Amino acid sequence: MGRYIVRRVLLAIPVLLGTTFVIYLAVYALPGDPIRALFGPNQVISPSVERALRERFHLDDPLIVQYGHYLAGLARGDLGTSFSGRPVSEIIRAGWPVTFQLGITAWLMEAVLAILLGTLAGVRRGKAADYTVLAGTTLAMGIPFFVVAYVAQFVFGVQLGWFPVSGADAGWPVAYLLPGLVLALGVLPQSARVTRNSVLDNLSADYVDTADAKGLPRRVVVWRHVVRNSLIPVVSLLGVSLGYMLGGTVLIEGIFNLPGLGYQIFTSIPQHDGPVVVGIGTLLVLVFLLVNLLVDLLYGILDPRIRLH
Amino acid sequence: MFATRNRRRGWAGVAAAGALALALAACGGTATQDSGDGGGAGGAKTFSIGVTSYFVSHFTPGQSGGSNIDYAVFTPLTAVDSASGQARNAVAESIESEDNKVWTIKIKKGWTFHNGEEVTAQSFADSWNATAYGPNAMTNNYLFADFEGYADLNPAEGEPKTKTLSGVEVVDTHTLKVTLTKPLSLLPYILAQSTFAPMPKAAFTDLKAFDAKPIGNGPYQVTGEGRTTGATKITLQRYDKYAGELKGDAETVEVKSYQDEVAAYRDFQAGAVDVTLVGGNNLTNAATRYKDQLVQVPFPAVIYLGFPLWDKRFEDIKVRQAFSLAVDRDAIVKSLLRGFGQPAKGLAGSTIPGGGAQDCEFCSLDVARAKSLLAEAGGWSGPLKLWTYQDPVNTTILEAVSNQLRTNLGIETITTGTQPVDQLYPNLTAHKIDGPFLLYMGAGYPHLYALADQLFTKGSGTNVTGYDDEEFASLLRKAAAAEPDQAMGLAQEATRTAMAAVPLSPLFQPVGGLVHSKKLSNVTPEFLGGARIAAIKVN
Repeated sequence: MGRYIVRRVLLAIPVLLGTTFVIYLAVYALPGDPIRALFGPNQVISPSVERALRERFHLDDPLIVQYGHYLAGLARGDLGTSFSGRPVSEIIRAGWPVTFQLGITAWLMEAVLAILLGTLAGVRRGKAADYTVLAGTTLAMGIPFFVVAYVAQFVFGVQLGWFPVSGADAGWPVAYLLPGLVLALGVLPQSARVTRNSVLDNLSADYVDTADAKGLPRRVVVWRHVVRNSLIPVVSLLGVSLGYMLGGTVLIEGIFNLPGLGYQIFTSIPQHDGPVVVGIGTLLVLVFLLVNLLVDLLYGILDPRIRLH
Repeated sequence: MFATRNRRRGWAGVAAAGALALALAACGGTATQDSGDGGGAGGAKTFSIGVTSYFVSHFTPGQSGGSNIDYAVFTPLTAVDSASGQARNAVAESIESEDNKVWTIKIKKGWTFHNGEEVTAQSFADSWNATAYGPNAMTNNYLFADFEGYADLNPAEGEPKTKTLSGVEVVDTHTLKVTLTKPLSLLPYILAQSTFAPMPKAAFTDLKAFDAKPIGNGPYQVTGEGRTTGATKITLQRYDKYAGELKGDAETVEVKSYQDEVAAYRDFQAGAVDVTLVGGNNLTNAATRYKDQLVQVPFPAVIYLGFPLWDKRFEDIKVRQAFSLAVDRDAIVKSLLRGFGQPAKGLAGSTIPGGGAQDCEFCSLDVARAKSLLAEAGGWSGPLKLWTYQDPVNTTILEAVSNQLRTNLGIETITTGTQPVDQLYPNLTAHKIDGPFLLYMGAGYPHLYALADQLFTKGSGTNVTGYDDEEFASLLRKAAAAEPDQAMGLAQEATRTAMAAVPLSPLFQPVGGLVHSKKLSNVTPEFLGGARIAAIKVN
């Protein structure tokens, strides 16, 4: 197991390097000019200032040289400076708690809801509960989640006043419930359905008959045996869904005005602020890799038959 | 040339979300409307203000955007009175010149920075030198281009050999001598911009810290850590030793920053913000829901349809006149903007000193005349493409314009294109845009001269039509050299000259709104739109 972890961590290094390059390339390839974007629509740029900025950010060098500068900085532990003059490390330090809290909230919501709804639908197969979950998840899948975000914000924030409309001032969990739920809804349909199918598979397994035959109450059979065994595909899906959620934070934090990492990306892309986008993007990839490693380790706990080499 | 910048990035903000919010609002009930926070200690007067994050991204005078927050924290030498349109002295005791080129500026005694340091002539010189010094790469650097010595601080090649403007001389503690490279009678107007605010000695020990937590000389000081990365809140506290006339009413002001006006308005609806700017589609909503709490803000700007004068198809002035006559400005303002705008009769609206003249001969709808003018010019053949930058309101208006041109001029194939601002402007400058373009232009300072200079002077970064006319230029030069009262007339004459050549066709002067909670009164806009913080009364 120890060697397995070491190997996975080592494998993450080329992945991360590749990520920084791809994101760097993407930001570099954006049409338009970063200096122009920094100055806004029709502000005059004096040539001397433009020259100073271009030199500072190596903007006149070819892509590969720029990227080299970036990597050299990275090797020194320097994540670079945003065009507006703030160190990226500072931006990340300020932003990660918000994104972390949002991510955890959304993830917990997704896990709890998916397992509850999926199990309910599986156990009540073909009944009203099953169809309700099916219809609900189809609906949730059909609506783009930024629409859900605006509607939720308007109905629950502005009209009913149950939740703060935006900002992280109210602290955890209050400020994160609504955005977390919206984020969770984006990935919930898939994981709920996987849970349902997995539960269905396991319900027809021999050991369920055995447990029934032993005279165990239905509740115990379902929760202790069926659900636990059904969780393996669900857990791996939860790992993957974290990736979607991290992507989703970019929009959700933008809409809900949460000053996290996603918000920073949201505002940095139109500014062509390469260092910020690459730094945060790579960090999100790192988190994604870590979580998936944890998920793989979780397999072993959920099902002792699975061995990791 | 004192060109400008447009401090409000995209006048309508990013209103994409607004359309949806509006649709939802239509079926909404009532929201509670009260301020969120009582502000701590028993009954201390306080309110919160919503701004776009762009307003607070920098506080250093050389880099700030001239927002209402900047004017709460800093007081420059002069201030432009919004009612009369006159530049009045603020920190300045007097600003005088014989030839409008060499100026003597006397500074009032008794002004202090928030850290207690006295505001002196040196404080202004230090601030101006820092901005004008090229390698500092401050965004407002170009505003000093007409100061003597600017070229030495911004050489075309290599590092500058000196660090101070030769045209800014500290005569004594309270006297400055400013030398310009050419006469400019409007200097008092220009000095009203926050870029020309003073900086204390303490600023120069750590410019980065200063940018986050400025030490100004304005009615409010920034408390705590100032603007911290990632935070969306900044607290201002009234500076009780403020020497200016307009002392704030509220003891503390909480500034909340949002990515756009739409988000700020949503928070206002939920009662979490007391005052904020509204634009775009939310204006209509605010006008019905908060009838008595909405203050109209006429922006000192114009939305215009510019013509690519480098394009052969637009060489004939009759074509440009025909296009201008074929647009129904009233319909656009009435149906698309719900009345929040002034259909253009001239280049500048009456909010800009010198504006309000009906200097646009071809700004009223006249289909018959438009058709005959186009026919005289040989008609139109082939497709037409109209351009604007990405902004939901711009796009809607451009669609309307294209429909009107199709119907009124009989041009069959009209398409529209959008580009992000940072592509459109360089492409316009490079003459790569193949059709008329819809743009926003705000006056850099409250004077018709500013708008005319920005739009029509050759070499101005915002003159994208390529208009170049010696008669106009000479009139404008005369205006710059003349006494203020004559300068106005000359600027108007110059504008008329340029407008007669129809390099562009003004469509409307945009109007925004300031919406505020019931506990606030005397909400008035700064020249550039944001609420004047020190003027607001808390009931």
